[in-house]
Amino acid sequence: MNGWILAAVLVLVTGVGATLWGVAGGPLRRRATAQNLCTALACPVLLLLAQGYGRPAYVDLALVLAVLGPVGTLVFARLLADELADDPPHARGPTWTAAALGAAVVGAVAVATGPGRALVKLLVIGVLLVGGNLIASRALAGGMQEGRGD
Amino acid sequence: MKGRRTLLALAEVAAWWVPLAALWLVLISTVDPLELAVGAGASALTAFVARGARRAVSGR
Repeated sequence: MNGWILAAVLVLVTGVGATLWGVAGGPLRRRATAQNLCTALACPVLLLLAQGYGRPAYVDLALVLAVLGPVGTLVFARLLADELADDPPHARGPTWTAAALGAAVVGAVAVATGPGRALVKLLVIGVLLVGGNLIASRALAGGMQEGRGD
Repeated sequence: MKGRRTLLALAEVAAWWVPLAALWLVLISTVDPLELAVGAGASALTAFVARGARRAVSGR
């Protein structure tokens, strides 16, 4: 076990564990926010594990999660729009914490990777991860209702 | 007029193709001619889809 894997385990247990706890019960706004944060925290874990095991190919898993996580949240935000409108989630603190953690992990792995195509790929993942989750969390909070056609 | 519109459409598809092909180039693990050929083809296909999506969203 090295520092990367230790950090991954730490984020997995405290971060993803907490979001799983949040998904398991409570009001809808809590569960919707927790499932959004779950992918936002699992993606950095996959990046850390890929670095820890020295297998750059594993970064692809983080890429897939960075794309599909926010998309899944957008589907929930759309389907549950009426329920969420009564009691919208405003989880600014956890959202920005997850975004900062994602950015920090991408930054640390980027420094370890060094310049090259792998670095560009990592930065693409970072932008998708942080940007996607900020947009998804804004959609959950009802910030994108103007554009709805119905 | 029709020729101009076709030219504009082709320019837009080309403009989509460049970043899509660059993205493909960044995401693959090993760069070899076969990967480049497949990437160029996939990017071309996706560039048309991107133009269609852009037109559907902007309604033009």
